[in-house]
Amino acid sequence: MIQEGYKLDFSNQTFGVILYGQPGVGKTTLAMSDGNNGADTLLIDLEHGIGRTNPLHRMNCKVLSAANYQEVKKDLETPEAKAAKNIVIDTAGALVEYLKQWAMETQPGAKDRNGNWNGLKGFGIVKTEMDSFVNQIKTVMNKNIIFIFHADEKVDRDGNPIQRLRCEGSFRNTVWTGIDFGALIQRQGGKRYANFIPDDDNPAKGCHGIEGKIEIPDLSAGKKNDFLAWLFDTARANMQKENDAVADVIKGYNKIMEDVKGMVEGVTDADTANACLKAIGSMDHVLTSKKECGKMLNDKCKTLGLTYQKASGSYVAGDAK
Amino acid sequence: MKTRITKTLLDSWNYMFDCAEGFEQEARDEFITTLKREPTPPNEAQQAGLDFEKLVMRIAQGEDVTRLEKGYNGAKQIADIVRGGQWQVHVDTDVEVDGRIFWLHGFIDVLKAGVIYDVKFKTKSFSNLDLWHCYRHSSQHSAYLKCVPEAYEFVYLISDGNDLYTEAYTRQTAEPIENIIRNFMNWLKGEPELLKIYEERWIVE
Repeated sequence: MIQEGYKLDFSNQTFGVILYGQPGVGKTTLAMSDGNNGADTLLIDLEHGIGRTNPLHRMNCKVLSAANYQEVKKDLETPEAKAAKNIVIDTAGALVEYLKQWAMETQPGAKDRNGNWNGLKGFGIVKTEMDSFVNQIKTVMNKNIIFIFHADEKVDRDGNPIQRLRCEGSFRNTVWTGIDFGALIQRQGGKRYANFIPDDDNPAKGCHGIEGKIEIPDLSAGKKNDFLAWLFDTARANMQKENDAVADVIKGYNKIMEDVKGMVEGVTDADTANACLKAIGSMDHVLTSKKECGKMLNDKCKTLGLTYQKASGSYVAGDAK
Repeated sequence: MKTRITKTLLDSWNYMFDCAEGFEQEARDEFITTLKREPTPPNEAQQAGLDFEKLVMRIAQGEDVTRLEKGYNGAKQIADIVRGGQWQVHVDTDVEVDGRIFWLHGFIDVLKAGVIYDVKFKTKSFSNLDLWHCYRHSSQHSAYLKCVPEAYEFVYLISDGNDLYTEAYTRQTAEPIENIIRNFMNWLKGEPELLKIYEERWIVE
């Protein structure tokens, strides 16, 4: 089914999320906050951290434990995995380690001639498989994917502490590209926060109205663990609002670009170029359409040997100088 | 007096403070070369960047490019984003800073539907890099968001030939170009000989 972009329905939109922070800050509990005591969540528990969470918050959660990557992949085919709405990878750094082991066992290129890990080729293999794995969850299975990372505290050139995602290989960089939300989970003054504010010190990402430093609700006294459920619902509603608000803008932009493309195709000499220039100038432009149309016309004029004369504001044959 | 200013000049100045330890003199020499507007052939990394950008353009424009071409995987991901946009768009605007007018101008890699895209190539693999906010000190997004007020976002599309990493800036997150120019001019005032060169060679006729 092909739909116009401005008519899209986001009620079933899925998301990619990064949660990172220091040990013990509650990342795993937060990752299970589907508002249903974990019933909508499959947790791929690669660091055996599930035992440290409150049993009430994980009582309905499905937990995938595996000795190796092959088992993880196999278990993703089970009805339990297919039924989950959220798939949590706890932690992404550990998954890379599992993938390294898998690559050493099954991929000849991952080893050097002495049988040791060949970092250069090996990480390329790991990266390709990781992309395929993430794609399977996000696109094929259409699940929300939640990556948990440990925070790696480093120092910048001036000696100030900075946080980065703890993970070997390029995934710590490329993971951000396909992600909708990324937050540093912090504990301050007895409260917990999800910090979506990106800055030099802390990687983060917010969109669709999810931004700033958001307090994570206190979970004492049997309160509902539903932060991610709230986040996804809010983002979906905001996406729909954003889309509806710009529908006319996008329609207008597409129409102008299509019309001008046709006009530019019809330019054959200075007269038709100047007529096109005049038409572009008289349009009610949307976003950057005026500059784009001007460039489109200018490129066409160049192929016809026409140049723009600033003084007269028109195209002339040959070199304007 | 109205003088020109470009992101290349500002970035070359900025590099003096951002360069790796031990490269300070080299960075200063490079800045002076840029300030004097002396033409220099692209170095190896710059040439690799230009070649990669051409590859992206060829793929985006529908040319039949073999997957075996070096950098294809990364270039294809970028081409899919910028396809349909306009390449190498000249943009300019006058910027007033402390009563002085600067003609800010340059070329945008790709302009499409309110977004300015800039293609960056890294010769090192992403595995060995920390890319978070790696272009935060660049004047480029500040400069071009100023030149194109209709654009709402500036996106760096960064690749090592295999992977893609994106970094986006808006007017809310970019340093205003006026601040960058002001810092640049204040620094130049402390280097009278360089200020003289700037005012002679960057004057708008």
